Amino acid sequence: MTDRLSSGSVRLDTVLGGGLPRNGIVLIGGNPGSGKTILAQQYVFHNASTDRPAIYLTTVSEPLEKILRYGQSLDFFDPAALGTSVIYEDLGRTLNDEGLTGALAYITELLKKYRPGLVVIDSFRALQTYAADPETFRGFLHELAGRLSALPITSFWVGEYTSTDTSDAPEFAVADAIVALGTEREAERDRRVLSVIKLRGSGSLSGKHAYRLSSTGIHVFPRMADLVELDRYDRVQERMSSGVPALDAMLSDGYYRGASTLLAGPSGVGKTLFALHFIFAGAVRGETGLIATFQENPTQLERILKGFSWSLDDPAVELMYRTPVDLYLDEWVYDLLDTVHRTGATRVAIDSLGDLRASAADELRFREYIYSLLQRCARANISVVMTQEVPYLFGVSRLSEYGISHLSDNVILLQFLRGDSRLKRALTILKARGSAHDPFTRQYEITTDGVILGDHFDRSQDLT
Amino acid sequence: MEGSTDRTDAIYSIGAVARMLGVPPQTLRAWEDRYQQIVPARSSGGQRLYSRDQVDQLSFIRNQIEQGLQPADAHRLLAQHHNEATSIPVEQHPNARTSAAAATTVLLAERDPYAAEFAEYFLRTEGYVVRIVLDSAAAAEILRNEPPSVLVVDLLIAGGAGLELCRAARDNGSVPVLALSAVNSRDQALAAGAEAFLVKPLDPLQLVSTVRDLIGTSAYLRQRS
Repeated sequence: MTDRLSSGSVRLDTVLGGGLPRNGIVLIGGNPGSGKTILAQQYVFHNASTDRPAIYLTTVSEPLEKILRYGQSLDFFDPAALGTSVIYEDLGRTLNDEGLTGALAYITELLKKYRPGLVVIDSFRALQTYAADPETFRGFLHELAGRLSALPITSFWVGEYTSTDTSDAPEFAVADAIVALGTEREAERDRRVLSVIKLRGSGSLSGKHAYRLSSTGIHVFPRMADLVELDRYDRVQERMSSGVPALDAMLSDGYYRGASTLLAGPSGVGKTLFALHFIFAGAVRGETGLIATFQENPTQLERILKGFSWSLDDPAVELMYRTPVDLYLDEWVYDLLDTVHRTGATRVAIDSLGDLRASAADELRFREYIYSLLQRCARANISVVMTQEVPYLFGVSRLSEYGISHLSDNVILLQFLRGDSRLKRALTILKARGSAHDPFTRQYEITTDGVILGDHFDRSQDLT
Repeated sequence: MEGSTDRTDAIYSIGAVARMLGVPPQTLRAWEDRYQQIVPARSSGGQRLYSRDQVDQLSFIRNQIEQGLQPADAHRLLAQHHNEATSIPVEQHPNARTSAAAATTVLLAERDPYAAEFAEYFLRTEGYVVRIVLDSAAAAEILRNEPPSVLVVDLLIAGGAGLELCRAARDNGSVPVLALSAVNSRDQALAAGAEAFLVKPLDPLQLVSTVRDLIGTSAYLRQRS
């Protein structure tokens, strides 16, 4: 038997450093509607067995009937387990009639009768109101914790605790682990966040982790903050085509496998096209590519592709389209990694970073996520191209306000130039980490065969 | 969830197993060396620790030998059962629990009143007479004057006097000791003469079955009597 209690969700267990401490006291705090009861029931149904049942005790603010009625809508709620491996009991009546002393005796009887492995008290906070004074409540806590610790039981104390309770409420000192469920105001909407405030005997992932509630329980998206890896460029030697032969030549021989490339330029200059080149160049070589887009829905994208004799029907091309409205960065990044894992994609195009940036209120968090995403892809030798819109049509003077260009291995600037009363498109490699590259700005044209690179501009060209 | 009454937990010393089965320790060691089939875990200090499953297997071997099989053949038969994934037949005496338990007293030397309350409850429901002491001096006195059938002792009683009680019980002669602790003190406990060790918090069923084995009201001993 391990010393960790699993939630049944790998990501949540990861946030908790491998799981909650088995045989410990776990406090789950959060506002009404934050999913405390769902989380507790998730642990109950995942861990209960007829040998070591789980007891769910409801107090006054959470009537048993209501918990059961809403519990049924959860996928993991197993009516067949009721009465055998999962036992719901009402503690409210005992509390009303006999107070905390009576409740303590009743809990003790239940522990002897059922020999449970897991005990939930929901709401625990409501118990405070039955104590005449703080001292009485402390005495009750001591008695209860003593009993729960004498047996191999993991207990969950669930309550509407707020962050200000952390230092005051004596429950917090007794608990071996504290999990807080809350919301965070972000842009014009609330984001659900889970944080681990205390975890005895183990490390946990710091910070606030986004989560969503569904009928399958709580879905956590652990905050991404991967560490820097510096030695990668010594290892990877393989090159891969960008899909534009002349660009490959400018980069010595294409991109390094696992590298990240930022395609920056104004609207309409052809960023998406370069990204598609990269994907379909892989597809003809049998490498699966993933197009993650917010810009064009599948119909629109298919129309664009047709113009260049490409198609989404290509079995080596996977599309992940998400509308930029109501997009959650955390969820999207995990979605992307899952899709990459599922399809075995080795080339990924993200179109565009601006849409992703809009989904995160905090720029630091955005950078952390993109950086971690690029790191994870690099470690798995997955190459990523990202498009980024710049607000200037001509004379680009600033690339990016998000600092992603620093994080990218390659940065390619696409811009419009004026000359001979004609609009021209031009490409410049601003950065190609670890390889020699052509420093000149080159003209290019968009034809039905895609991007065709032309000559270097000469001195007479006005580059502003 | 894995059962906490894990049948593969290393609990019993070689002395305890020898007494439970009526097979001398040197025979158990010889079987282990020769057949490499029932190999107990070792504590960090190198002491042999047998699991519940291994005690069952050894009991099977012993029964086969008593019925005239050579030790090698008995081990072969056990391996055969194991390969066919069939459980080995362990005969339970129908009255093993109720009739014999009534006469036995458990001395429970605990430091934690809550743990003592639960342990007492579960042992009583199995028919044992339980005496709780929360003080090591009182426990030592009872050991001297009214030796119990078994001593269950929390090693951390009175700030760590549990090992002293283990030695006293050993020197006293015939009181088997089940040592308990929240920390892993297997080696110290066995060195001080304990026959079995369990980590706290205790699983009620494991506590009861271990006590039952140590007292000798287990099915094994009763089959022999």
